[in-house]
Amino acid sequence: MAYRADDDYDYLFKVVLIGDSGVGKSNLLSRFTRNEFSLESKSTIGVEFATRSIHVDEKIVKAQIWDTAGQERYRAITSAYYRGAVGALLVYDVTRHVTFENVERWLKELRDHTDSNIVIMLVGNKADLRHLRAVSVEDAKAFAERENTFFMETSALESMNVENAFTEVLTQIYHVVSRKALEVGDDPAALPKGQTINVGNKDDVSAVKKAGCCSA
Amino acid sequence: MVCVEKLRELAWSGIPPYMRPDVWRLLLGYAPPNSDRRGGVLKRKRLEYLDCVSQYYDIPDTERSDDEINMLRQIAVDCPRTVPDVSFFQQAQVQKSLERILYTWAIRHPASGYVQGINDLVTPFLVVFLSEYLEGSVDSWSISDLSPDKISIIEADCYWCLSKLLDGMQDHYTFAQPGIQRLVFKLKEVVRRIDEPVSTHMEEQGLEFLQFAFRWFNCLLIREIPFHLITRLWDTYLAEGDALPDFLVYIFASFLLTWSDKLQKLDFQELVMFLQHLPTNNWTHQELEMVLSRAFMWHSMFNSSPSHLAN
Repeated sequence: MAYRADDDYDYLFKVVLIGDSGVGKSNLLSRFTRNEFSLESKSTIGVEFATRSIHVDEKIVKAQIWDTAGQERYRAITSAYYRGAVGALLVYDVTRHVTFENVERWLKELRDHTDSNIVIMLVGNKADLRHLRAVSVEDAKAFAERENTFFMETSALESMNVENAFTEVLTQIYHVVSRKALEVGDDPAALPKGQTINVGNKDDVSAVKKAGCCSA
Repeated sequence: MVCVEKLRELAWSGIPPYMRPDVWRLLLGYAPPNSDRRGGVLKRKRLEYLDCVSQYYDIPDTERSDDEINMLRQIAVDCPRTVPDVSFFQQAQVQKSLERILYTWAIRHPASGYVQGINDLVTPFLVVFLSEYLEGSVDSWSISDLSPDKISIIEADCYWCLSKLLDGMQDHYTFAQPGIQRLVFKLKEVVRRIDEPVSTHMEEQGLEFLQFAFRWFNCLLIREIPFHLITRLWDTYLAEGDALPDFLVYIFASFLLTWSDKLQKLDFQELVMFLQHLPTNNWTHQELEMVLSRAFMWHSMFNSSPSHLAN
């Protein structure tokens, strides 16, 4: 999955990164978009933004990822950025149980502000800190199943599963979108309002036929 | 007796480092202009800070409410992430001082409480008041060279100066941060009046000022320029006094339009990325002075004739 120029893509998907302060959202983003990690990163104020394009089913999918501040106080600002999001990574820190407890609130927040088709992945970050683990994989899995979200543990520091987590979310969004394109024919204007999915004017429908072969 | 108005005029263009601690305390109204009273007032205020610390900070978590525990936790998450590119702030004792100042401030200002980014705002005060006791450059400082008494004096000065600074911007940090939203809106208007082409281009690209300028107002530009230039910038901030929030708009317009030509060549995503990581790494005082003097000029042109901004 090579890094490539930004200007050329078939699909543009808006994805948000949410979760408590200090769980590693910004480092997940920098690992995915620039392959960088910093132990000394600053807190995110308001929102920040980065992009990366990947291939899904021979299509170029460009992710426009909005990284949000974790502090509750900022939610009034950051929730405005949920609008139009078709994917979300809801991140907690596997070494701080309270960040997992708050996942439920984040999920509600997200569902209140986004389309019901949004693809959500629960992400347990800092999985490299094995001796400090405070949230079991089983608990997180059970929660994800109950809430009908995807789930993965990651380590932005060790670059573990970061690629997989984002790719999975983007692939799932792609499937949702191409399924919709199939249902509504090839009239992109018929897509539900409130989604900034930029459907290319090429053969959207034919892409759907290849779906299902690229899950992570 | 110091004439504070005269001092403001002089300080606006930069304060010599050795005078900065005294001048900042005066400009913020923390130290009284009357030199006979000054020593006594500062002594009393510093004791009051110590009282607050023992009353609010040095207590077990069992005596804190859930909200207070959450706030302390948030502050503890942010202190190690404060100006991480300056190694001095990585010293454990420095981070502890920050934590005490921030938590005490937050408890005593319940309308806003601690908001991420306020941690950044303490750092100019810390380096300036530490410079009264430590020599050489910040990179060579070690806070453990100082006695606990001195550290508590410095902390107290930081606490009171932070309080004075933020008193003038109370609604910047209350729920939904209306003060910042208002200034961001004003910034957009001012930029439109000064540089129509940039303004039009940004609008066509769908770029919202809130997407980049929010952080500027929230952290007063600390995130955007090299740390060694910050105290100079703050000389002007503090010289503005009560007029600071309005003047920030002109400083930030001037800052933004430093890249007027460049901005017009970028599309939406490039704009957001560029504005998030502005190329100021190699900035010297020269670039900063340019931003400030242009801000001064535009402020005189537009602020005295509000009709320029009316339509």
